[in-house]
Amino acid sequence: MIQKNLKINYEVWSERLTKIYGKGKEALEAVSKIDLRVKPGVHGFLGPNGAGKTTTYNMLVGAISISEGKAKIRGKKAGSVAAKQVIGFLPQDPVFYEDMTGEDYLIYMGQLGGLKSKEAKRKAQELLDYFDLFDARNREISKYSSGMKQKIGIAAALIHDPKVLILDEPTANLDPLGRADVIKKIRDLSDKVSVFVSSHILSEIEQMCEDVTMINHGKIVISDSIKNIKKSYVSNLYILDTDMNEKFLEMLKNIDFISKVRIEEIDGKIHIIPKDQDKLRELIPQMLIKNKATLYSFHQPELSLQDIFMEIMAKKEDIKK
Amino acid sequence: MKSNKLNLTDEIKPKVDGFNNKVLQPIKSWFSKYISKKIFIVIKKTFFDIYSLKKLIITIIFLLFVPTIFIFLPTGVDFGLISTHHAATIISIAILFPAFFFTLGIFFALMIGFSGSSLIAEEVKSGTMLILVSKPISRIKIFLGKYIAVIFYGMLISFISIFTLGWIGVLMKSANIDHFISLLPFLTALYFYSLFILFLFTSITMALSSIFKKPRTVSITVFILVIFSFIAFFLIRIFIGQFYGIYQIYHFDLGYHLGNVFVLFIETLNAIPPSAAWQMLFGQLTGVYSLTSTIDPDQGINLGGLEKTNYYLPIFSLLIWVLIAALLLFFGIWSLKKREISI
Ligand SMILES: Nc1ncnc2c1ncn2[C@@H]1O[C@H](COP(=O)(O)OP(=O)(O)OP(=O)(O)O)[C@@H](O)[C@H]1O
Ligand SMILES: [Mg+2]
Repeated sequence: MIQKNLKINYEVWSERLTKIYGKGKEALEAVSKIDLRVKPGVHGFLGPNGAGKTTTYNMLVGAISISEGKAKIRGKKAGSVAAKQVIGFLPQDPVFYEDMTGEDYLIYMGQLGGLKSKEAKRKAQELLDYFDLFDARNREISKYSSGMKQKIGIAAALIHDPKVLILDEPTANLDPLGRADVIKKIRDLSDKVSVFVSSHILSEIEQMCEDVTMINHGKIVISDSIKNIKKSYVSNLYILDTDMNEKFLEMLKNIDFISKVRIEEIDGKIHIIPKDQDKLRELIPQMLIKNKATLYSFHQPELSLQDIFMEIMAKKEDIKK
Repeated sequence: MKSNKLNLTDEIKPKVDGFNNKVLQPIKSWFSKYISKKIFIVIKKTFFDIYSLKKLIITIIFLLFVPTIFIFLPTGVDFGLISTHHAATIISIAILFPAFFFTLGIFFALMIGFSGSSLIAEEVKSGTMLILVSKPISRIKIFLGKYIAVIFYGMLISFISIFTLGWIGVLMKSANIDHFISLLPFLTALYFYSLFILFLFTSITMALSSIFKKPRTVSITVFILVIFSFIAFFLIRIFIGQFYGIYQIYHFDLGYHLGNVFVLFIETLNAIPPSAAWQMLFGQLTGVYSLTSTIDPDQGINLGGLEKTNYYLPIFSLLIWVLIAALLLFFGIWSLKKREISI
């Protein structure tokens, strides 16, 4: 019972979810026994090319079969009509009925989602307006730009009022302005609907999400809130900037609890990796006073998700080797 | 007083709810479950994908072109001198062959094949199916919606072509409206037969569309099947006729079965009187009639048409192929259900 309740509490839940493409020698385990726990809010799905993101999504929406394990959307079996009723899905590289106008397309999608034609029309116009496509509503989708297509795709996913939006690389193929636009729209939407969004652009995920799941080679590498991930990956790098960096560099080189120190060419600041962080934090103020130096900055840089991701992936590769 | 009122409503409310819950809700949910509106949405969309007025007109011209040439062939009959019934018979016979082989035969089957082949295979290949299957609609409904749209389209096409063909026949032969009216039983028989062909070839096409990757493979398969049933077996019968019966080739001869069903509709609706005038040729082309003469040599009278080969009882031919069509329909649904949809 408790387990069942738990499943219902998650927007997306899976247990040992697995996809094997092909048979025999050709068989490829594209997704391998992953346990997803997506809570309400915006959840990022990260991974390099071929990691298995699209495969996972296609299983969740019932487009391809699940080889092993199970998956639920708000407690409903993935692939069932009931589960699909609460999902809005934007595939990677979505293909639309190019000969339909934007408005007709949304109405059709709304009706498939169970709306009456009047309701569908009202909803379609509302969404067209929200995505700044109202003026293009009577134009054929084939004449839309990539950005407009991506937005009509998200609108089509939203039209039947789903509870969980599953977006597979919604910002792919867009220019920086288009990306920013789509990201903002997704963030605004998150008040009303949970979002499970994939990307391999980490800075975007960082802007949108509270939680992330990272996968590589079909397996989950880490799944937690971005906050926690960053906390557990605090770097031991310190950056110091004074009015006498050269002199400080020479002095620091002779300190035994400092393992590495150098001046970064790009910004001219001193990068220090200490063996003992507390001792370093005591030492620097003393040195400043002693030398009558002016301090511009002394801080630990915040690691971006990108840095952490690279680090995790690198570690995994090392273990593999 | 106030509490009284409240009590009253409290008492009434459960009753209304009870009626709602016990009677209305189940009916409503049954309707929304089985007679879902969603299937009509798919039918409508698909229908207007395959239908356009221009396409309809071109298709009809295409279906009627060869038959019209056939009807042009002179009959050598003065329609002024014969009875309406007789005239209708002559016109029917003039229409019968082109209708069976072209309008409702090769061309109709191909038309269904080409219209239907793209409906599933194409959507999967192009990628639009991925969004469709992610919507809250079952794949059965997606399949049936498309299937029914093809059936509606075919019904419209065959209706227009059959009655136009009748008109053309009457116009070219006698231009007498009474003849057209006498022709109605025959045209009705043709229409029923066209529904049978429609059911069969839509099932074949949609089942193939459901399993094959490329729409072209579907159309080519239907094309080959049509050529085989209407031409290849006919050649076998002509050139190695003696083996046809011995090796029971008729089991696999779709052309024979179609001819058998065609004659069943003609006979049942009493559309054309039996006579060697058309049965001879029809027998040669389909194998339905035995080609040995039934004119009693002693008395020299026509015994009312040729004898049938009766490899199959006509009703069996009908039932077998209806069954096959139904199985193909289920097979199509099943394979779409199992199909992996990704780009
Ligand atoms: N239909 C298929 N048949 C066989 N293998 C497939 C199929 N689709 C994907 N794969 C393989 O499965 C693995 C995972 O692919 P998937 O598309 O899920 O990755 P992804 O994380 O979405 O990558 P990307 O970031 O490039 O979109 C890859 O090795 C891919 O080659
Ligand atoms: Mg992908």
